Amino acid sequence: MSISTKVSDYAAASDGRGAAIGALPHFERQRIRFFWMLLTPVLVILAIVTLLPTIYLLVTSFTPLSLATPGTAWNFSDPLANYKVLFGDSRLHNSLWVQLKLSFFTVVLQLLLGLVVALLLNMRTALMEALRSTFLVPMVLPPIVVAIIWKVLYSPDISPAWWIFKALGWSVATPITDANWALTAIIIADTWEWFPFTMLIILAALSMMPEELREAARIDGATSWQLTWFVTLPYLRNTLLVAGLFRLIDSIKTFPLIYILTDGGPGTVTEVSNYYVFSQSFNYSYIGYSSAVTMVLLAITLLLSWIIIRVVAGESRVD
Amino acid sequence: MSRSPEAANPEAADAALPAAGAINRRDVLRTMAALTAGAAVGLRSPPVLAQAKRFDGVTLRGACFQHVFHENVKAYLPEFEKATGMKVEIDLQAFPVYNQRMDLELSTQGSSYDFINITFPYSGRWVGAGWLAPLDSFVSDRNQTPAEWNPDDFVSGTQTPFRGKDGKTYGFAWEAGAMMMGIARYDLIEKAGLNIPETLEELAAVCAAVHGKDGVAAYVNDKLHHWNFPPYLMNMGGKVFRKAPDDLMPTLDTPEAARAAQYYGDLLSKYGPQGVLSFTDDQALRSQTEGRANIRTNAMAWVLPLAKRADSKVKETARFGMIPKGAGGSFPGCNANGYGIPVGARQKEAAWAFIQWATSKETFRRIAFERGGLAVPRRSIIDDPEYRKVLNINGQDVAALYLQILERAGEGNYMSYRTVPVFPQVGDKINKAIERIASRQQSAEASMATAQAEAVADLRKAGVAL
Repeated sequence: MSISTKVSDYAAASDGRGAAIGALPHFERQRIRFFWMLLTPVLVILAIVTLLPTIYLLVTSFTPLSLATPGTAWNFSDPLANYKVLFGDSRLHNSLWVQLKLSFFTVVLQLLLGLVVALLLNMRTALMEALRSTFLVPMVLPPIVVAIIWKVLYSPDISPAWWIFKALGWSVATPITDANWALTAIIIADTWEWFPFTMLIILAALSMMPEELREAARIDGATSWQLTWFVTLPYLRNTLLVAGLFRLIDSIKTFPLIYILTDGGPGTVTEVSNYYVFSQSFNYSYIGYSSAVTMVLLAITLLLSWIIIRVVAGESRVD
Repeated sequence: MSRSPEAANPEAADAALPAAGAINRRDVLRTMAALTAGAAVGLRSPPVLAQAKRFDGVTLRGACFQHVFHENVKAYLPEFEKATGMKVEIDLQAFPVYNQRMDLELSTQGSSYDFINITFPYSGRWVGAGWLAPLDSFVSDRNQTPAEWNPDDFVSGTQTPFRGKDGKTYGFAWEAGAMMMGIARYDLIEKAGLNIPETLEELAAVCAAVHGKDGVAAYVNDKLHHWNFPPYLMNMGGKVFRKAPDDLMPTLDTPEAARAAQYYGDLLSKYGPQGVLSFTDDQALRSQTEGRANIRTNAMAWVLPLAKRADSKVKETARFGMIPKGAGGSFPGCNANGYGIPVGARQKEAAWAFIQWATSKETFRRIAFERGGLAVPRRSIIDDPEYRKVLNINGQDVAALYLQILERAGEGNYMSYRTVPVFPQVGDKINKAIERIASRQQSAEASMATAQAEAVADLRKAGVAL
């Protein structure tokens, strides 16, 4: 079979979709079959591990399933009941608002701090090289350990910070029980824990930045500030968007810090939607209702991710 | 190797043996083999057989929330394990974690645990849902339970949470918790010219007079307001539900409830130590035993350590009293936690053997007198003169106070609000409401109205007809 024959076969295959596989050369059909043979187990596992639970969650959201009430598992008499309750649930609405504030401030602060520290660490001095791994420590600690560290720091009777305040004669209220500061306390702890992640991503991007860009700007007389503002930051734009997307998705999953530090309080000032779902499912066994809330959260997360991915993809095309 | 003539000629050998045909070489060999085997068995088996225990090789798994009682039980476990042959593993978890995990474990009828702790506020839910095995057949079976174990010895109120609507018993109490007032620094109150407060007005006056004196906060409590607050609510004439367990309409938005919530929120915010809203039981206790906080109202197990814990700095100045009464009367909290067997448990007999031992008179007696675990549910121990002696603290008859509270709690069944299956939901609303008031986010009226609306919505979600 000549090369020209193969090319014509390909052309025919790409024209007619129905007969495409049949029109492919034998070795190509084998290649595709082999490809699917390798891919199928992975797809099956993926479907079992992620798709099936999601479908089950969706199905459950149409039932009033409560573990304490037998017979509610497959009760589809009022499939939209949970969704109707959800729209009038003021505590859920409050938790979404708290979530929005938490996500906004943690993502912005983590990006800013991560960027600043990455720019500093990108200066290749011995000191900065040594500092790099030190900055990673909060991120590699188990989240529950991070929560305990901050619990100790925020508890006046055991906190070294409060011993100092006391020695100085200052009376400082603990932020985790102060309604005006509790969310800030969580934001600070979360930023401390996760800014190394954004720092790491930005540092990786900086290490791949072509030196010619900066060199050319320097020759044109750009100052350090101008270099950062007009060269480095535009270069990092997509990296920052991707890092922001990762942190945004993670911020929606925030749990240990809130569980350990404030338990969603005082009142509900730190009760994010994720925590609200947890208490609905595991404190009161409202599995059906919490599934409905989870489906809404999933939809919001997917929508946000889609928007950001579109923005990044659009920027890439413009570039 | 030379062979003996007998071996070379078996018939000759047979002939050499005494005639009679009763014994031949094979018989001798058989006998020797039997004797050898018998000797071997004789050397090893008789001691094993003599020591055979009913639960040899059994490993029993239990789960409980962290409480000093279980630590006390663990201290005596080796003796029980030696006597029965079983090995007992107790998985201790923090209170909220335990309840969440056990709710899930029981609802799926899992068999991970052979015995569990039945948490008081969850008892109605777990018993009512049929997640626990009835224990009556074990109790009445004389092969499993000797008569002297005597289930009637439990103070009657302590067994109420563990009885189902079918009249069967699903658990036995290990704790009779009576809520009382523990004062760490009575000397400061005396110095202010005041006495142990008996009314809510007096308590407020005492707190105002002694707060900050000697660097001591006047009042402290842990963050489980759904346990700590209802006595104040009821003492002021309010209720959690309209008429539990029959009418579960929450009554958190009444004027009495708002007044009580304001009062309790003020105790925490005006007279509590810094960060009191995040205090766990341990933190609240430590702040008292170290002399940093003065008055706390809680279960006896949490206030007695003021006088009984070795490291307490306030042993000499500790005093105890009833929870101050209000316009509505006196409704001290009372609870009972117990042991039960999950319906899915695989080793129910062994689990019952453990429960029987852990809640026996002898075990309670030892825990009370040797380890200071004095919140016992068995009347025979409470009536014991030795018990009275141990609970005579700084000239106060705390045992009499304890009995008075237990008896008061038995009147009118006013604690039934706490064992209805939907109490956890409503309890959470109380927690949040008190936090909002104490952290000055909302007025008491607004906060309790929010709690009421949320509680009603949640109960409707649970299918409760209101």
